[in-house]
Amino acid sequence: MKQISLIIGALVFSTLFHKQSIGLNLSVFSLVAIIVLLIHNTKAFRQKTTIAHALLYALTAISIFLYNNTLAIVANAMAFVTLVGQVSTQNSSIYVNWLNGLYSFIAGFFHRNFHIHEASQKVEPKIKIDYLHLTKLIGIPLVVLVIFIALYKNGNPMFSNLINGIDFSFINLQWVLVALSGYYLFYNISKPVTVNPATSKDLQIGNSLFLKAHFENEYLKKENQLGFVLITALNFLIVLFLITDVSYLINSVNSSAPELSCQVHNGINALIASIVIAIIIILYFFRGDLNFYNNNKNLRLVAYTWMLLNAVLVINIIIKDILYIYNFGLTYKRIGVLVYLLLTVIGLTTTFIKVKHLKNLWYLFRINTISAFTILIVSCALNWDSLITKYNLNYAKSMDFNYLIELSNNNTFMLKNYLDENDLDMEKALAIEQKYKTYVMTLQDNSWQESQFDTYRIK
Amino acid sequence: MDTPSTLLKSTILSFVIFWSVILTEKEIPLDAIPYMFLSLIPIFLCCMFTICLTVAPFYWSKNEKTAFKTIYNNCFPFYAIALFGVCSLVLITSNFEMSIVAFTASAFFTLLKSWTWIIKPSKTELNEAL
Repeated sequence: MKQISLIIGALVFSTLFHKQSIGLNLSVFSLVAIIVLLIHNTKAFRQKTTIAHALLYALTAISIFLYNNTLAIVANAMAFVTLVGQVSTQNSSIYVNWLNGLYSFIAGFFHRNFHIHEASQKVEPKIKIDYLHLTKLIGIPLVVLVIFIALYKNGNPMFSNLINGIDFSFINLQWVLVALSGYYLFYNISKPVTVNPATSKDLQIGNSLFLKAHFENEYLKKENQLGFVLITALNFLIVLFLITDVSYLINSVNSSAPELSCQVHNGINALIASIVIAIIIILYFFRGDLNFYNNNKNLRLVAYTWMLLNAVLVINIIIKDILYIYNFGLTYKRIGVLVYLLLTVIGLTTTFIKVKHLKNLWYLFRINTISAFTILIVSCALNWDSLITKYNLNYAKSMDFNYLIELSNNNTFMLKNYLDENDLDMEKALAIEQKYKTYVMTLQDNSWQESQFDTYRIK
Repeated sequence: MDTPSTLLKSTILSFVIFWSVILTEKEIPLDAIPYMFLSLIPIFLCCMFTICLTVAPFYWSKNEKTAFKTIYNNCFPFYAIALFGVCSLVLITSNFEMSIVAFTASAFFTLLKSWTWIIKPSKTELNEAL
Protein backbone atom coordinates (compact mmCIF):
# COMPACT_ATOMS: atom_id res chain seq x y z
CA MET A 1 0.00 0.00 0.00
CA LYS A 2 2.77 2.41 1.02
CA GLN A 3 4.84 1.69 -2.09
CA ILE A 4 1.73 2.01 -4.27
CA SER A 5 1.01 5.45 -2.81
CA LEU A 6 4.51 6.57 -3.81
CA ILE A 7 4.10 5.24 -7.35
CA ILE A 8 0.70 6.87 -7.72
CA GLY A 9 2.17 10.07 -6.31
CA ALA A 10 4.99 9.96 -8.86
CA LEU A 11 2.57 9.45 -11.77
CA VAL A 12 0.34 12.26 -10.53
CA PHE A 13 3.41 14.47 -10.10
CA SER A 14 4.45 13.99 -13.72
CA THR A 15 0.89 14.49 -14.97
CA LEU A 16 0.66 17.72 -13.01
CA PHE A 17 4.02 19.32 -13.70
CA HIS A 18 5.44 18.01 -16.98
CA LYS A 19 5.70 21.07 -19.26
CA GLN A 20 3.17 23.03 -17.19
CA SER A 21 3.41 26.30 -15.36
CA ILE A 22 2.02 26.85 -11.86
CA GLY A 23 -1.73 26.77 -11.27
CA LEU A 24 -4.17 24.14 -10.07
CA ASN A 25 -1.33 21.58 -10.28
CA LEU A 26 0.48 22.96 -7.22
CA SER A 27 -2.75 22.92 -5.24
CA VAL A 28 -3.43 19.29 -6.20
CA PHE A 29 0.20 18.38 -5.47
CA SER A 30 -0.17 19.84 -1.98
CA LEU A 31 -3.18 17.63 -1.29
CA VAL A 32 -1.36 14.56 -2.68
CA ALA A 33 1.66 15.38 -0.48
CA ILE A 34 -0.59 15.55 2.59
CA ILE A 35 -2.16 12.19 1.70
CA VAL A 36 1.26 10.54 1.16
CA LEU A 37 2.52 11.94 4.47
CA LEU A 38 -0.65 10.75 6.20
CA ILE A 39 -0.37 7.21 4.81
CA HIS A 40 3.26 6.87 5.86
CA ASN A 41 3.09 8.72 9.18
CA THR A 42 -0.29 8.07 10.73
CA LYS A 43 1.18 8.37 14.23
CA ALA A 44 2.44 11.91 13.61
CA PHE A 45 -0.98 12.97 12.35
CA ARG A 46 -2.55 12.06 15.69
CA GLN A 47 -0.99 15.23 17.08
CA LYS A 48 -3.04 18.40 16.83
CA THR A 49 -0.03 20.51 15.81
CA THR A 50 0.63 18.26 12.80
CA ILE A 51 -3.02 18.52 11.75
CA ALA A 52 -2.83 22.30 12.16
CA HIS A 53 0.28 22.44 9.95
CA ALA A 54 -1.45 20.26 7.35
CA LEU A 55 -4.45 22.62 7.39
CA LEU A 56 -2.18 25.64 6.96
CA TYR A 57 -0.51 23.90 4.03
CA ALA A 58 -3.94 23.18 2.52
CA LEU A 59 -4.87 26.86 3.03
CA THR A 60 -1.83 27.96 1.01
CA ALA A 61 -2.80 25.42 -1.67
CA ILE A 62 -6.24 27.03 -1.91
CA SER A 63 -4.59 30.48 -2.08
CA ILE A 64 -2.55 29.38 -5.07
CA PHE A 65 -5.70 28.24 -6.85
CA LEU A 66 -7.46 31.51 -6.01
CA TYR A 67 -4.71 34.06 -6.62
CA ASN A 68 -1.72 32.25 -8.20
CA ASN A 69 0.76 34.91 -7.06
CA THR A 70 4.35 34.76 -5.83
CA LEU A 71 3.37 35.31 -2.21
CA ALA A 72 1.05 32.28 -2.25
CA ILE A 73 3.74 30.14 -3.90
CA VAL A 74 6.38 31.18 -1.34
CA ALA A 75 3.93 30.57 1.52
CA ASN A 76 3.05 27.17 0.05
CA ALA A 77 6.72 26.17 -0.17
CA MET A 78 7.32 27.32 3.41
CA ALA A 79 4.22 25.49 4.68
CA PHE A 80 5.31 22.33 2.83
CA VAL A 81 8.78 22.36 4.38
CA THR A 82 7.29 23.11 7.81
CA LEU A 83 4.79 20.25 7.57
CA VAL A 84 7.46 17.74 6.50
CA GLY A 85 9.67 18.93 9.36
CA GLN A 86 6.77 18.70 11.79
CA VAL A 87 6.12 15.12 10.72
CA SER A 88 9.81 14.26 11.20
CA THR A 89 9.89 15.55 14.79
CA GLN A 90 6.95 16.80 16.75
CA ASN A 91 7.42 19.41 19.48
CA SER A 92 10.56 20.90 17.95
CA SER A 93 10.97 24.60 17.15
CA ILE A 94 9.66 25.85 13.84
CA TYR A 95 13.13 26.73 12.51
CA VAL A 96 14.26 23.17 13.27
CA ASN A 97 11.16 22.01 11.39
CA TRP A 98 12.33 24.08 8.42
CA LEU A 99 15.77 22.53 8.60
CA ASN A 100 14.41 18.98 8.90
CA GLY A 101 11.77 19.54 6.24
CA LEU A 102 14.22 21.01 3.76
CA TYR A 103 16.77 18.29 4.41
CA SER A 104 14.18 15.51 4.09
CA PHE A 105 12.87 16.98 0.86
CA ILE A 106 16.37 17.35 -0.62
CA ALA A 107 18.26 14.30 0.58
CA GLY A 108 16.01 12.00 2.62
CA PHE A 109 16.84 9.09 0.33
CA PHE A 110 20.60 9.46 0.77
CA HIS A 111 20.27 9.94 4.52
CA ARG A 112 18.27 6.76 4.95
CA ASN A 113 20.65 4.95 2.62
CA PHE A 114 23.61 5.96 4.77
CA HIS A 115 22.10 5.13 8.12
CA ILE A 116 22.39 1.39 7.86
CA HIS A 117 21.22 -0.81 10.69
CA GLU A 118 24.55 -1.93 11.97
CA ALA A 119 23.01 -4.72 14.05
CA SER A 120 21.53 -6.37 10.99
CA GLN A 121 24.74 -5.88 9.03
CA LYS A 122 26.55 -8.24 11.39
CA VAL A 123 24.62 -11.25 10.26
CA GLU A 124 24.48 -10.34 6.60
CA PRO A 125 26.87 -12.31 4.44
CA LYS A 126 29.43 -10.39 2.47
CA ILE A 127 27.89 -9.54 -0.86
CA LYS A 128 30.47 -9.13 -3.55
CA ILE A 129 28.97 -8.08 -6.85
CA ASP A 130 30.77 -9.53 -9.85
CA TYR A 131 30.54 -6.51 -12.12
CA LEU A 132 32.46 -8.20 -14.94
CA HIS A 133 30.04 -11.09 -15.02
CA LEU A 134 27.10 -8.70 -14.87
CA THR A 135 28.48 -6.73 -17.81
CA LYS A 136 28.95 -9.95 -19.78
CA LEU A 137 25.46 -11.12 -18.86
CA ILE A 138 23.85 -7.99 -20.26
CA GLY A 139 26.35 -6.77 -22.85
CA ILE A 140 27.20 -9.92 -24.81
CA PRO A 141 23.61 -11.09 -25.47
CA LEU A 142 22.67 -7.51 -26.36
CA VAL A 143 25.47 -7.11 -28.93
CA VAL A 144 24.86 -10.58 -30.41
CA LEU A 145 21.12 -9.94 -30.63
CA VAL A 146 21.67 -6.64 -32.47
CA ILE A 147 24.02 -8.33 -34.97
CA PHE A 148 21.55 -11.15 -35.63
CA ILE A 149 18.62 -8.77 -36.00
CA ALA A 150 20.63 -6.86 -38.62
CA LEU A 151 21.40 -10.12 -40.43
CA TYR A 152 17.81 -11.40 -40.36
CA LYS A 153 16.52 -8.03 -41.54
CA ASN A 154 18.53 -8.43 -44.72
CA GLY A 155 17.42 -11.99 -45.17
CA ASN A 156 13.68 -11.60 -44.74
CA PRO A 157 11.67 -8.52 -45.88
CA MET A 158 8.71 -9.45 -43.65
CA PHE A 159 10.97 -9.64 -40.57
CA SER A 160 12.53 -6.37 -41.66
CA ASN A 161 9.10 -4.70 -41.83
CA LEU A 162 8.22 -6.11 -38.44
CA ILE A 163 11.38 -4.70 -36.85
CA ASN A 164 10.96 -1.34 -38.60
CA GLY A 165 7.35 -1.22 -37.42
CA ILE A 166 8.37 -1.20 -33.78
CA ASP A 167 7.67 2.31 -32.56
CA PHE A 168 8.42 3.46 -29.05
CA SER A 169 7.57 7.07 -29.77
CA PHE A 170 4.46 6.82 -27.59
CA ILE A 171 6.78 6.65 -24.58
CA ASN A 172 7.62 10.17 -23.50
CA LEU A 173 10.98 9.77 -21.80
CA GLN A 174 10.87 13.25 -20.36
CA TRP A 175 7.52 12.49 -18.76
CA VAL A 176 9.07 9.34 -17.27
CA LEU A 177 12.02 11.35 -15.96
CA VAL A 178 9.68 13.86 -14.29
CA ALA A 179 7.78 10.91 -12.76
CA LEU A 180 11.08 9.56 -11.41
CA SER A 181 11.79 12.97 -9.87
CA GLY A 182 8.32 12.84 -8.33
CA TYR A 183 9.04 9.39 -6.94
CA TYR A 184 12.32 10.65 -5.45
CA LEU A 185 10.49 13.58 -3.86
CA PHE A 186 7.67 11.48 -2.41
CA TYR A 187 10.12 8.81 -1.24
CA ASN A 188 12.12 11.53 0.54
CA ILE A 189 9.16 13.01 2.34
CA SER A 190 7.35 9.74 3.04
CA LYS A 191 9.63 9.09 6.01
CA PRO A 192 11.07 12.49 6.93
CA VAL A 193 14.51 12.45 8.50
CA THR A 194 16.04 14.68 11.15
CA VAL A 195 19.20 16.73 11.28
CA ASN A 196 21.11 15.81 14.38
CA PRO A 197 22.41 17.03 16.78
CA ALA A 198 20.40 20.19 15.93
CA THR A 199 17.05 18.47 16.54
CA SER A 200 18.01 16.61 19.71
CA LYS A 201 19.57 19.74 21.22
CA ASP A 202 16.50 21.79 20.34
CA LEU A 203 14.27 19.24 22.06
CA GLN A 204 16.44 19.39 25.17
CA ILE A 205 16.45 23.17 25.48
CA GLY A 206 13.40 24.66 27.15
CA ASN A 207 12.16 28.24 27.14
CA SER A 208 13.04 29.29 30.68
CA LEU A 209 16.15 30.67 32.33
CA PHE A 210 17.50 28.93 35.39
CA LEU A 211 19.54 30.26 38.26
CA LYS A 212 23.14 29.04 38.35
CA ALA A 213 24.44 27.53 41.56
CA HIS A 214 26.99 30.31 42.11
CA PHE A 215 26.86 33.88 41.02
CA GLU A 216 28.94 36.86 42.03
CA ASN A 217 26.88 39.61 43.65
CA GLU A 218 29.56 42.25 43.18
CA TYR A 219 29.86 41.60 39.45
CA LEU A 220 26.08 41.65 39.02
CA LYS A 221 25.85 44.90 40.94
CA LYS A 222 28.28 46.57 38.50
CA GLU A 223 26.49 45.15 35.50
CA ASN A 224 23.16 46.29 36.92
CA GLN A 225 24.52 49.84 37.31
CA LEU A 226 25.94 49.87 33.80
CA GLY A 227 22.65 48.62 32.34
CA PHE A 228 20.61 51.14 34.28
CA VAL A 229 22.76 54.12 33.20
CA LEU A 230 22.89 53.02 29.58
CA ILE A 231 19.19 52.29 29.15
CA THR A 232 18.16 55.43 31.06
CA ALA A 233 20.33 57.55 28.76
CA LEU A 234 18.79 55.85 25.76
CA ASN A 235 15.33 56.53 27.18
CA PHE A 236 16.06 60.26 27.34
CA LEU A 237 17.38 60.17 23.80
CA ILE A 238 14.33 58.41 22.38
CA VAL A 239 11.98 60.80 24.25
CA LEU A 240 13.79 63.75 22.68
CA PHE A 241 13.58 62.10 19.26
CA LEU A 242 9.85 61.43 19.69
CA ILE A 243 9.09 65.01 20.79
CA THR A 244 10.86 66.49 17.77
CA ASP A 245 9.32 63.92 15.44
CA VAL A 246 5.74 64.48 16.69
CA SER A 247 6.09 68.27 16.49
CA TYR A 248 7.39 67.90 12.92
CA LEU A 249 4.46 65.65 12.08
CA ILE A 250 1.94 68.16 13.47
CA ASN A 251 3.54 71.08 11.64
CA SER A 252 3.68 69.34 8.27
CA VAL A 253 0.24 67.83 7.71
CA ASN A 254 0.04 68.76 4.03
CA SER A 255 3.32 67.22 2.96
CA SER A 256 4.00 66.21 -0.62
CA ALA A 257 4.36 62.55 -1.60
CA PRO A 258 8.18 62.63 -1.78
CA GLU A 259 8.37 64.34 1.64
CA LEU A 260 6.04 61.82 3.28
CA SER A 261 7.86 58.96 1.56
CA CYS A 262 11.19 60.30 2.84
CA GLN A 263 9.78 60.64 6.37
CA VAL A 264 8.33 57.13 6.42
CA HIS A 265 11.49 55.54 5.06
CA ASN A 266 13.80 57.52 7.34
CA GLY A 267 11.53 56.67 10.24
CA ILE A 268 11.67 53.00 9.32
CA ASN A 269 15.46 53.08 9.14
CA ALA A 270 15.64 54.74 12.54
CA LEU A 271 13.13 52.24 13.87
CA ILE A 272 15.05 49.24 12.53
CA ALA A 273 18.27 50.44 14.14
CA SER A 274 16.52 51.40 17.35
CA ILE A 275 14.60 48.16 17.79
CA VAL A 276 17.54 45.90 16.88
CA ILE A 277 19.87 47.73 19.27
CA ALA A 278 17.17 47.81 21.95
CA ILE A 279 16.62 44.07 21.77
CA ILE A 280 20.38 43.31 21.65
CA ILE A 281 21.08 45.49 24.68
CA ILE A 282 18.15 44.05 26.62
CA LEU A 283 19.17 40.52 25.71
CA TYR A 284 22.73 41.24 26.77
CA PHE A 285 21.79 42.50 30.23
CA PHE A 286 19.04 39.95 30.77
CA ARG A 287 20.99 37.01 29.38
CA GLY A 288 21.58 35.20 32.67
CA ASP A 289 22.06 35.82 36.35
CA LEU A 290 21.01 39.48 36.30
CA ASN A 291 17.43 38.21 35.91
CA PHE A 292 17.69 36.73 39.41
CA TYR A 293 19.53 39.67 41.00
CA ASN A 294 17.45 41.10 43.85
CA ASN A 295 18.13 44.78 43.12
CA ASN A 296 17.32 44.73 39.42
CA LYS A 297 13.91 46.41 39.75
CA ASN A 298 15.11 49.78 38.43
CA LEU A 299 16.88 48.17 35.52
CA ARG A 300 13.71 46.28 34.65
CA LEU A 301 11.70 49.46 34.90
CA VAL A 302 13.93 51.41 32.49
CA ALA A 303 14.00 48.42 30.14
CA TYR A 304 10.18 48.27 30.10
CA THR A 305 10.06 52.04 29.57
CA TRP A 306 12.43 51.76 26.65
CA MET A 307 10.31 49.04 25.05
CA LEU A 308 7.23 51.20 25.58
CA LEU A 309 8.93 54.20 23.98
CA ASN A 310 9.94 52.06 21.03
CA ALA A 311 6.28 51.05 20.74
CA VAL A 312 5.39 54.76 20.67
CA LEU A 313 7.96 55.15 17.89
CA VAL A 314 6.15 52.37 16.03
CA ILE A 315 2.80 54.17 16.46
CA ASN A 316 4.42 57.33 15.15
CA ILE A 317 5.55 55.56 11.99
CA ILE A 318 2.12 53.91 11.61
CA ILE A 319 0.49 57.35 11.64
CA LYS A 320 2.91 58.59 8.98
CA ASP A 321 2.34 55.51 6.83
CA ILE A 322 -1.45 55.78 7.15
CA LEU A 323 -1.28 59.47 6.19
CA TYR A 324 0.84 58.52 3.24
CA ILE A 325 -1.64 55.79 2.21
CA TYR A 326 -4.65 58.07 2.69
CA ASN A 327 -3.13 60.78 0.51
CA PHE A 328 -1.41 58.76 -2.19
CA GLY A 329 -3.01 55.30 -2.12
CA LEU A 330 -1.93 51.78 -1.18
CA THR A 331 1.15 50.12 -2.63
CA TYR A 332 2.98 46.92 -1.77
CA LYS A 333 5.81 48.90 -0.17
CA ARG A 334 3.42 50.80 2.09
CA ILE A 335 1.73 47.54 3.11
CA GLY A 336 5.22 46.09 3.65
CA VAL A 337 5.95 48.90 6.11
CA LEU A 338 2.79 48.02 8.06
CA VAL A 339 3.74 44.33 8.10
CA TYR A 340 7.21 45.26 9.32
CA LEU A 341 5.70 47.42 12.07
CA LEU A 342 3.44 44.54 13.12
CA LEU A 343 6.49 42.27 13.36
CA THR A 344 8.24 44.96 15.39
CA VAL A 345 5.36 45.17 17.86
CA ILE A 346 5.41 41.38 18.20
CA GLY A 347 9.21 41.49 18.71
CA LEU A 348 8.88 44.11 21.45
CA THR A 349 6.05 42.23 23.15
CA THR A 350 7.98 38.96 23.19
CA THR A 351 11.06 40.76 24.53
CA PHE A 352 8.88 42.19 27.29
CA ILE A 353 7.57 38.68 28.10
CA LYS A 354 11.14 37.35 28.04
CA VAL A 355 12.27 39.87 30.65
CA LYS A 356 9.16 39.63 32.79
CA HIS A 357 8.82 35.84 32.86
CA LEU A 358 12.53 34.94 32.85
CA LYS A 359 12.60 33.36 29.39
CA ASN A 360 15.77 32.55 27.45
CA LEU A 361 17.00 33.57 24.02
CA TRP A 362 15.57 30.43 22.38
CA TYR A 363 12.09 31.46 23.51
CA LEU A 364 12.49 34.68 21.51
CA PHE A 365 13.68 32.82 18.42
CA ARG A 366 10.87 30.30 18.67
CA ILE A 367 8.00 32.66 19.27
CA ASN A 368 9.16 35.27 16.74
CA THR A 369 9.74 32.75 13.93
CA ILE A 370 6.27 31.26 14.57
CA SER A 371 4.81 34.79 14.42
CA ALA A 372 6.58 35.56 11.14
CA PHE A 373 5.44 32.25 9.67
CA THR A 374 1.83 32.85 10.75
CA ILE A 375 1.84 36.34 9.22
CA LEU A 376 3.19 34.89 5.97
CA ILE A 377 0.45 32.24 5.81
CA VAL A 378 -2.33 34.65 6.74
CA SER A 379 -1.12 37.27 4.26
CA CYS A 380 -1.10 34.76 1.40
CA ALA A 381 -4.81 34.16 2.00
CA LEU A 382 -5.61 37.75 1.02
CA ASN A 383 -5.95 39.11 -2.48
CA TRP A 384 -3.64 42.09 -2.05
CA ASP A 385 -3.88 43.30 -5.63
CA SER A 386 -7.62 43.44 -5.35
CA LEU A 387 -7.46 45.24 -1.98
CA ILE A 388 -4.97 47.80 -3.32
CA THR A 389 -7.10 48.42 -6.39
CA LYS A 390 -10.34 48.72 -4.43
CA TYR A 391 -8.83 51.15 -1.93
CA ASN A 392 -7.03 53.29 -4.50
CA LEU A 393 -10.05 53.56 -6.80
CA ASN A 394 -12.58 54.34 -4.07
CA TYR A 395 -10.85 55.94 -1.09
CA ALA A 396 -7.40 57.36 -1.89
CA LYS A 397 -7.19 61.13 -2.40
CA SER A 398 -4.80 60.66 -5.28
CA MET A 399 -3.04 57.67 -6.80
CA ASP A 400 -0.88 56.37 -9.62
CA PHE A 401 -3.23 54.65 -12.11
CA ASN A 402 -0.37 52.98 -13.99
CA TYR A 403 0.61 51.24 -10.78
CA LEU A 404 -2.77 49.47 -10.79
CA ILE A 405 -2.25 48.37 -14.39
CA GLU A 406 1.20 47.01 -13.54
CA LEU A 407 -0.12 44.90 -10.66
CA SER A 408 -0.72 41.18 -11.24
CA ASN A 409 -3.84 39.94 -13.01
CA ASN A 410 -5.71 39.50 -9.73
CA ASN A 411 -7.23 42.96 -10.13
CA THR A 412 -8.15 42.63 -13.82
CA PHE A 413 -11.85 41.87 -13.37
CA MET A 414 -12.17 44.62 -10.79
CA LEU A 415 -10.60 47.14 -13.18
CA LYS A 416 -12.86 45.94 -15.98
CA ASN A 417 -15.96 46.41 -13.80
CA TYR A 418 -14.71 49.85 -12.83
CA LEU A 419 -14.31 50.73 -16.50
CA ASP A 420 -17.83 49.48 -17.29
CA GLU A 421 -19.36 51.52 -14.48
CA ASN A 422 -17.34 54.73 -14.89
CA ASP A 423 -16.38 57.11 -17.65
CA LEU A 424 -12.60 56.94 -17.91
CA ASP A 425 -10.35 58.79 -20.30
CA MET A 426 -9.17 57.03 -23.45
CA GLU A 427 -5.69 56.16 -22.22
CA LYS A 428 -6.89 54.49 -19.02
CA ALA A 429 -9.72 52.66 -20.80
CA LEU A 430 -7.31 51.30 -23.40
CA ALA A 431 -4.86 50.14 -20.75
CA ILE A 432 -7.63 48.29 -18.87
CA GLU A 433 -9.04 46.72 -22.05
CA GLN A 434 -5.56 45.59 -23.07
CA LYS A 435 -4.91 44.02 -19.66
CA TYR A 436 -8.31 42.33 -19.64
CA LYS A 437 -7.99 40.86 -23.14
CA THR A 438 -4.47 39.55 -22.54
CA TYR A 439 -5.54 37.97 -19.26
CA VAL A 440 -8.63 36.31 -20.72
CA MET A 441 -6.56 34.92 -23.60
CA THR A 442 -3.97 33.55 -21.15
CA LEU A 443 -6.71 31.91 -19.10
CA GLN A 444 -8.28 30.36 -22.19
CA ASP A 445 -4.92 29.00 -23.38
CA ASN A 446 -4.10 27.41 -20.02
CA SER A 447 -4.30 23.66 -19.64
CA TRP A 448 -6.32 22.23 -16.74
CA GLN A 449 -3.10 21.87 -14.75
CA GLU A 450 -2.39 25.58 -15.11
CA SER A 451 -5.96 26.69 -14.46
CA GLN A 452 -6.95 28.89 -11.53
CA PHE A 453 -10.15 30.24 -10.02
CA ASP A 454 -10.45 32.98 -12.68
CA THR A 455 -10.41 30.35 -15.45
CA TYR A 456 -13.79 29.11 -14.22
CA ARG A 457 -15.12 32.65 -13.81
CA ILE A 458 -14.83 33.43 -17.50
CA LYS A 459 -16.61 30.24 -18.60
CA MET B 1 38.96 6.12 0.65
CA ASP B 2 39.17 4.29 -2.64
CA THR B 3 39.64 7.37 -4.86
CA PRO B 4 39.91 5.73 -8.32
CA SER B 5 36.87 3.56 -7.71
CA THR B 6 34.83 6.50 -6.38
CA LEU B 7 35.81 8.70 -9.31
CA LEU B 8 34.99 5.94 -11.77
CA LYS B 9 31.57 5.32 -10.25
CA SER B 10 30.87 9.05 -10.06
CA THR B 11 31.84 9.56 -13.70
CA ILE B 12 29.56 6.74 -14.83
CA LEU B 13 26.65 7.99 -12.72
CA SER B 14 27.10 11.55 -13.97
CA PHE B 15 27.37 10.37 -17.56
CA VAL B 16 24.19 8.30 -17.30
CA ILE B 17 22.16 11.09 -15.65
CA PHE B 18 23.46 13.81 -17.97
CA TRP B 19 22.74 11.95 -21.19
CA SER B 20 19.44 10.52 -19.92
CA VAL B 21 18.17 14.06 -19.46
CA ILE B 22 19.61 15.29 -22.77
CA LEU B 23 18.21 12.34 -24.74
CA THR B 24 14.70 12.98 -23.48
CA GLU B 25 14.75 16.35 -25.24
CA LYS B 26 16.92 15.85 -28.32
CA GLU B 27 17.20 12.97 -30.71
CA ILE B 28 20.80 12.08 -31.36
CA PRO B 29 21.64 10.20 -34.58
CA LEU B 30 23.16 6.77 -34.15
CA ASP B 31 26.42 7.90 -35.79
CA ALA B 32 26.91 10.49 -33.07
CA ILE B 33 26.65 8.02 -30.22
CA PRO B 34 30.40 7.12 -30.19
CA TYR B 35 31.19 10.84 -29.86
CA MET B 36 28.88 10.97 -26.87
CA PHE B 37 31.41 8.86 -25.01
CA LEU B 38 34.00 11.59 -25.51
CA SER B 39 32.04 13.56 -22.93
CA LEU B 40 33.34 11.07 -20.37
CA ILE B 41 36.61 13.05 -20.28
CA PRO B 42 35.16 16.42 -19.17
CA ILE B 43 32.69 14.63 -16.91
CA PHE B 44 35.56 12.77 -15.26
CA LEU B 45 37.49 16.02 -14.78
CA CYS B 46 34.44 17.76 -13.30
CA CYS B 47 33.83 14.85 -10.94
CA MET B 48 37.47 14.73 -9.91
CA PHE B 49 37.65 18.43 -9.09
CA THR B 50 34.32 18.74 -7.32
CA ILE B 51 34.66 15.53 -5.30
CA CYS B 52 38.28 16.21 -4.33
CA LEU B 53 37.53 19.81 -3.43
CA THR B 54 34.13 19.52 -1.76
CA VAL B 55 33.55 15.97 -0.49
CA ALA B 56 36.95 14.40 0.14
CA PRO B 57 38.03 17.05 2.71
CA PHE B 58 35.28 15.75 5.00
CA TYR B 59 36.79 12.27 4.74
CA TRP B 60 40.28 13.61 5.39
CA SER B 61 39.05 15.60 8.39
CA LYS B 62 38.43 12.36 10.28
CA ASN B 63 40.67 11.82 13.27
CA GLU B 64 40.73 9.33 16.11
CA LYS B 65 38.03 11.16 18.04
CA THR B 66 35.44 11.50 15.29
CA ALA B 67 33.65 8.69 13.55
CA PHE B 68 32.53 8.87 9.94
CA LYS B 69 28.95 8.73 11.14
CA THR B 70 29.50 11.90 13.18
CA ILE B 71 31.09 13.69 10.23
CA TYR B 72 28.19 12.60 8.06
CA ASN B 73 25.56 13.70 10.59
CA ASN B 74 27.19 17.06 11.21
CA CYS B 75 28.13 18.02 7.68
CA PHE B 76 26.07 16.16 5.10
CA PRO B 77 22.70 17.89 5.77
CA PHE B 78 24.21 21.35 5.36
CA TYR B 79 26.25 20.25 2.36
CA ALA B 80 23.07 18.87 0.73
CA ILE B 81 21.10 22.04 1.46
CA ALA B 82 23.90 24.30 0.16
CA LEU B 83 24.29 22.16 -2.96
CA PHE B 84 20.54 22.30 -3.57
CA GLY B 85 20.65 26.08 -3.19
CA VAL B 86 23.50 26.47 -5.68
CA CYS B 87 21.88 24.10 -8.19
CA SER B 88 18.51 25.88 -7.88
CA LEU B 89 20.18 29.25 -8.40
CA VAL B 90 21.98 28.02 -11.52
CA LEU B 91 18.73 26.51 -12.86
CA ILE B 92 16.73 29.67 -12.28
CA THR B 93 19.34 31.99 -13.79
CA SER B 94 19.61 29.73 -16.85
CA ASN B 95 15.81 29.79 -17.21
CA PHE B 96 15.73 25.97 -17.05
CA GLU B 97 17.72 25.42 -20.21
CA MET B 98 17.89 21.69 -20.91
CA SER B 99 21.69 21.32 -20.95
CA ILE B 100 21.93 23.18 -17.63
CA VAL B 101 19.14 21.03 -16.16
CA ALA B 102 21.11 17.94 -17.22
CA PHE B 103 24.34 19.32 -15.77
CA THR B 104 22.88 20.37 -12.42
CA ALA B 105 20.85 17.15 -12.03
CA SER B 106 23.94 15.02 -12.65
CA ALA B 107 26.07 17.19 -10.35
CA PHE B 108 23.45 17.13 -7.58
CA PHE B 109 22.86 13.37 -7.51
CA THR B 110 26.49 12.40 -8.12
CA LEU B 111 27.85 14.60 -5.35
CA LEU B 112 25.27 13.37 -2.85
CA LYS B 113 25.89 9.75 -3.82
CA SER B 114 29.66 10.23 -3.65
CA TRP B 115 29.28 10.96 0.08
CA THR B 116 27.94 7.48 0.54
CA TRP B 117 30.73 5.96 -1.55
CA ILE B 118 33.42 7.88 0.32
CA ILE B 119 32.18 7.96 3.89
CA LYS B 120 29.79 5.05 4.37
CA PRO B 121 31.66 2.05 5.78
CA SER B 122 31.37 -0.97 3.53
CA LYS B 123 29.87 -4.21 4.80
CA THR B 124 33.30 -5.80 4.57
CA GLU B 125 34.82 -3.07 6.76
CA LEU B 126 32.02 -3.47 9.26
CA ASN B 127 32.48 -7.21 9.46
CA GLU B 128 36.24 -6.83 9.83
CA ALA B 129 35.74 -4.27 12.59
CA LEU B 130 33.60 -6.80 14.41
